[in-house]
Amino acid sequence: MPAEPIMELRGVDKYFGNLAAVNQITLAFEEGEFFTLVGPSGSGKTTLLRMLAGMDKPTRGDILLRGERINDRPANWRPTCMVFQSLALFPHMTVGQNVEYPLKCRGTSPSERKKRASRCLELSHLPISYYDRPVTTCSGGERQRVALARALAFDPEILFFDEPLSAIDYRLRKTLEKEIKDIQRETKKTFVYITHSLEEAMVMSDRIGVMRDGGLAQIGSPHEIYSNPVNRFVSEFMGEVNSIAVKRHEGGELWCESLGATITPPSVLDESFSQGTLMIRPENMHLVNPGEARSTNVFSGELFNEYVLGSRIQFQIRCNSDTFLVERLREAGMPKSGDQISFGWSPEDSMLFPE
Amino acid sequence: MSDSVLFRRLAKSYMAFILTLMYVPMLIVALASISKSRFFVFPVRRYDMKWYENTFSSLQIQDGFLTSLTVAFCVAVISVTLAVFGALAYARYDWRGKSLFQQLLLVPVFFPQSVLGLALQLWFNSFGVVMSWEATVFAQLVWIAPIVTLIISIQAFGYDGSVEEAASDLGASRWQVFRDITIPLLSPGIFSGFMFAVLLSWGNFPLAYFTSGADVTIPEWLYGKMIGGYTPMVPAVGFLSVLAGALALAIGFSLKAFSGHKDNK
Repeated sequence: MPAEPIMELRGVDKYFGNLAAVNQITLAFEEGEFFTLVGPSGSGKTTLLRMLAGMDKPTRGDILLRGERINDRPANWRPTCMVFQSLALFPHMTVGQNVEYPLKCRGTSPSERKKRASRCLELSHLPISYYDRPVTTCSGGERQRVALARALAFDPEILFFDEPLSAIDYRLRKTLEKEIKDIQRETKKTFVYITHSLEEAMVMSDRIGVMRDGGLAQIGSPHEIYSNPVNRFVSEFMGEVNSIAVKRHEGGELWCESLGATITPPSVLDESFSQGTLMIRPENMHLVNPGEARSTNVFSGELFNEYVLGSRIQFQIRCNSDTFLVERLREAGMPKSGDQISFGWSPEDSMLFPE
Repeated sequence: MSDSVLFRRLAKSYMAFILTLMYVPMLIVALASISKSRFFVFPVRRYDMKWYENTFSSLQIQDGFLTSLTVAFCVAVISVTLAVFGALAYARYDWRGKSLFQQLLLVPVFFPQSVLGLALQLWFNSFGVVMSWEATVFAQLVWIAPIVTLIISIQAFGYDGSVEEAASDLGASRWQVFRDITIPLLSPGIFSGFMFAVLLSWGNFPLAYFTSGADVTIPEWLYGKMIGGYTPMVPAVGFLSVLAGALALAIGFSLKAFSGHKDNK
């Protein structure tokens, strides 16, 4: 028997007026996992998190904590804690007072408070010398750490994060992502994280839930979601992708109108398939040397743009009316803008979504 | 001399001119209070401090001073208490009828005060309320509480509401959130609101005139003496009253500066 989930949503709806912000969500969080909810703005991520934290009540459905229904339990009675997008630090307090606050609410003695708050600051990599600083004098990254330390001081069973890193510069964000993941490993607590950044989700999560229009489009490990997206939305959301409109063609092949060519599908076509979209990730595209013998899925076009992405390079290739993205490792002797080049992909690296 | 220097000098002279216009009358009042003659003539021929001696020894004035102070203090405390909750309703929470509340709140502020005073007097009479300083407190609250509510609302609009949610999420009860988060964050507004209430009440004449009955506030005493029985004690009380207001502000701001200093240490 699998372990009982620490927290569970069963058929949860949340309406604001007639608008369904969250629509029929059923989802269970395992003890000690790092779960990330991703989705575009307005997909209902924050609403879902606020219901889990007890700041909003579901219109329908149940929220369970270790099997017990907690729909009506307010935020201050739940063993959960949220790191807000705005961080919501108390501006009139020092760093130490902020971190001590949850302990103070619980009536912990001042000496014990100080001891535990110091430990939490250490855990979130903030020097103890910051203890008596007004929180308003801290930089963005330091405030992040104060917010994290304050949430840890509460010692929740589950920590929620509402896009806390969205206002932080790239390098610091990378550092903080790793630190948050490390803290999760160290404390073995359940973390539920919200972001619209795919990269953040991939780096940190054990499992990812992709949200769209208030519903869950797919749940799975980062690898599953990236490599086997269930639909076009997930595949496009999880990264750049080449999409080609295709139709069923004789002999189990696909026909692409805009390329005027047949394409080999990733697998044997379903009986019901008549038309859809074929998607190939840029890193799964190859450049084909003129001499190389390859029969299927090879096209040629004019290379008109190239972007250097650190160790990799992305080519933009115009082929009839379509533009293709091809991403390769950077090496000597690569083609340049203006060159006519051939490119292709292995059928098993493409994804087909019927329409 | 370049244009910008010329312009700056012109701007400075203009500012000096405006400030003179504002402060000369007060200076005249001060001069009038120390002239020996009973009626003010300019320039003053002989100076005398006897009007101040008379002022300080006058039981009537001491009484008026005490009444004004009591009224101002009561008005400030009650209006700030009402205004804190009013401001939260005004700025922080969404509820049915909020916009009506926001509009109705402003009406007493724009009502002519003498009419408001008269209306309140008729109202009190019909209930059989005896006119006294307590009635004046009530009357001034009708006018001052909305103003203080607006002042505190500005503060309430200005802070991020998620801090209250965060406190509650961290285990704080409603009362703890209010005490530890809401009140401290509103405190600059509460302070300005309190100072405003004291000063508005201290200088208010029309509402007191209609409602104070046998009790006499300082503005009422001044008015009475202006109509009949002018002596330089009138400008003396007027000038002392200005000084008292300035002193109240000075004490208030130094208290605030002191507490701010303590917080930032």
